[in-house]
Amino acid sequence: MKKIKEIAIYGKGGIGKSTTTSNISAALSDAGYTVMQVGCDPKSDSTNTLTGGKSIPTVLESLRKRRGNLKVEDVIIEGFNEIYCVEAGGPEPGVGCAGRGIITAIEFLKQENIYEKYSPDVVLYDVLGDVVCGGFAMPIREGVANQVYTVSSADFMAIYAANNLFKGIKKYSNGGGALFSGLIANSVTFPAQKDILEDFILQTKSTIAGFIPRSLTVTQAELWGKTTIEANPDSNQAEVYRKLAKSIYNNKEEYIPSPLESDELKNWAESWSDKLLELRKQEEGDFKI
Amino acid sequence: MTSKNEKVNQENILSNDQIQINSYENDSVEAPRYSCALSGVYGTTLGIRGGVPILHSGAGCGIGQLFGTLYAGGQSAGGNEGGTSTPCSCLVEEHVIFGGEEKLRNLIQSTIEIFNGSLFVVISGCVPSLIGDDVDSIVDEFRDKASIIHVNAPGFEGNSFEGYEQFWDAIVKQLLTPKEKQPKLVNIFGIVPYNHVFWKGELLNIKNILKKIGVDANIIFTEKDGLENIKKIPSAEYNIVLSQWQGHEIAERLKNKFQIPYIKFPSVPVGAKQTSEFLRKVGEKLNISSDKIESLIEEEEDRTYRFMEYPADAVILVRPHSYFAVVADSGTAIGITKFLTNELGYLPDIIQITDNPPDKYRESIVKEIIENIETVVRPDIIFEADTYNIRENLKDRPFLFLLSSSLEAPTATEDFGALHISVSFPVYNRSILVHNYSGYDGGLQLFEDVISTFVGPL
Repeated sequence: MKKIKEIAIYGKGGIGKSTTTSNISAALSDAGYTVMQVGCDPKSDSTNTLTGGKSIPTVLESLRKRRGNLKVEDVIIEGFNEIYCVEAGGPEPGVGCAGRGIITAIEFLKQENIYEKYSPDVVLYDVLGDVVCGGFAMPIREGVANQVYTVSSADFMAIYAANNLFKGIKKYSNGGGALFSGLIANSVTFPAQKDILEDFILQTKSTIAGFIPRSLTVTQAELWGKTTIEANPDSNQAEVYRKLAKSIYNNKEEYIPSPLESDELKNWAESWSDKLLELRKQEEGDFKI
Repeated sequence: MTSKNEKVNQENILSNDQIQINSYENDSVEAPRYSCALSGVYGTTLGIRGGVPILHSGAGCGIGQLFGTLYAGGQSAGGNEGGTSTPCSCLVEEHVIFGGEEKLRNLIQSTIEIFNGSLFVVISGCVPSLIGDDVDSIVDEFRDKASIIHVNAPGFEGNSFEGYEQFWDAIVKQLLTPKEKQPKLVNIFGIVPYNHVFWKGELLNIKNILKKIGVDANIIFTEKDGLENIKKIPSAEYNIVLSQWQGHEIAERLKNKFQIPYIKFPSVPVGAKQTSEFLRKVGEKLNISSDKIESLIEEEEDRTYRFMEYPADAVILVRPHSYFAVVADSGTAIGITKFLTNELGYLPDIIQITDNPPDKYRESIVKEIIENIETVVRPDIIFEADTYNIRENLKDRPFLFLLSSSLEAPTATEDFGALHISVSFPVYNRSILVHNYSGYDGGLQLFEDVISTFVGPL
């Protein structure tokens, strides 16, 4: 059996994880690889831009309806360029346990030997924000993903979530869990944003896998229910994603990052406070148009 | 295996360092002498006639307590509402992920329709507590259809003795309303159904003995119309708590909410001395004429001590001044130790307390034993619930009698050279209906049980 590259992509909610993941999937698929994308978020919209903006049946909802008669074909839906799209799904907000849902969904996919049936070259897990409980750490435990990326902007809360992810990776690394392969710097427009993220990776002994500038092309494509790769294949932004996808596919770096303790993180953020205020002003100016 | 036991000697009973060492759950516990909070609420509910437990939990929580609490409480099944008949939402993975509220709603609806119960007790176990099911609002939907309460009792929140307190907490908050006071009415607390293996007989004895001095004891459990008994709790003139810690929280709550003062007694009174002391204390608080009390005491003690003379030869000729060991919950251990020491002249060797009393009560438990035994012998007092550690603590000691759970019964002679009597949770090797050691006759029954271990065989 061929070696499958299994990648988990984490990051704070709203930071652009699903957008980035879907564009990486689309770019890899365009480059000729067989790609599968698994959305691990109860709101189950990870793969929307690969399926023309439509929602697909989720694993958990289907498991519930089919009561043991669920077939993988029912929940693995072909999207743009024959990318296999899967959504784990989960409960309504405020009910039940979404973390357990992720565990159940991934266990189902593993039990059904989907890798043998579909033979993907790359599997991307797009996982909900913070590693708040054991369920959301499922993709980084032994036997699921082997490389982890985090999408982060220079916003403090996004960095905070990335730092939490590092803690999760450190914990599971002892038991053969996934290792870190790099931070994907999203919405990086100003030099100061780059500086902040570069300093953060220095502090945490990690690396940056690539920079993605903020772009209206992405927003436009999303409104059409498409990835940038599909909607604007010739745009600069599509080229950015293609480059990122290629470097991620070829990336051999795998290591345990050094998360900052909460006090350290707080002190570090304080040291950047003046810079951040300056940035905020620039951003506000940017949007005044 | 770590052994962080707490030993207390006479010289240092007041030293906190000596009294407070082990927190039972820090290490793994082998065959503990209690179950979880859910079990305490479940057993307490089944102790009430007309009480119907509705378990919102996995199926194992119910069936596990059938074996682990009901049979363990002196081979008692749970009646029509207990054991395999218990309504249970039997939560599975689907409910963990998507919530189990709808299933519970249907379960409560059908339980109210099917069961001839008067008080429905929804008990939330670990799963709904972890995932955050909003059980309170579901129970609220049924409050105008039946007497129903919700007790949130995830197993991880405490042991079965603490579950007893959680049950009462819910009753006070959700069911009780102020009532006109009824003179000479008292409520009895501190005897935990099933976990306190002699609960049924003890409650009956306490009721009967108090009746003789004109006090009406609301024992709540075992009697017909359990819900009515619960509803009249606020009418009581006093609450009587028969434990150094169990029932104290509920007594405090009732004091604050309904201005009912309470009388504490360290355990269920065992034998003549403790029972006479108990009657004097109750009589004094409830303003009962001391003539009446003393005349009853004289009559009862006269009879009791004549009865104790019958087996006295067996003690004096065969096993005089024997050392004994007790392994029991604090309530049982205190009463038995004082009786055997003060009334039979036996020698306390080691007392192991198994009900994991909260830290703040431990010193008072130790003091109660040490300061109230009439002997120069000072027992080791150890707080321990781990069966392996309990056995280790019993090795190479002089005791001849071992009063403990049935777990020690089969090998007591072989392992410890001791004659065994099952007196504390879990008790699987004897059926306990009305048998108990409370009151004047109870002391005689304990005497009978001790003598019966060595007389005969023909």
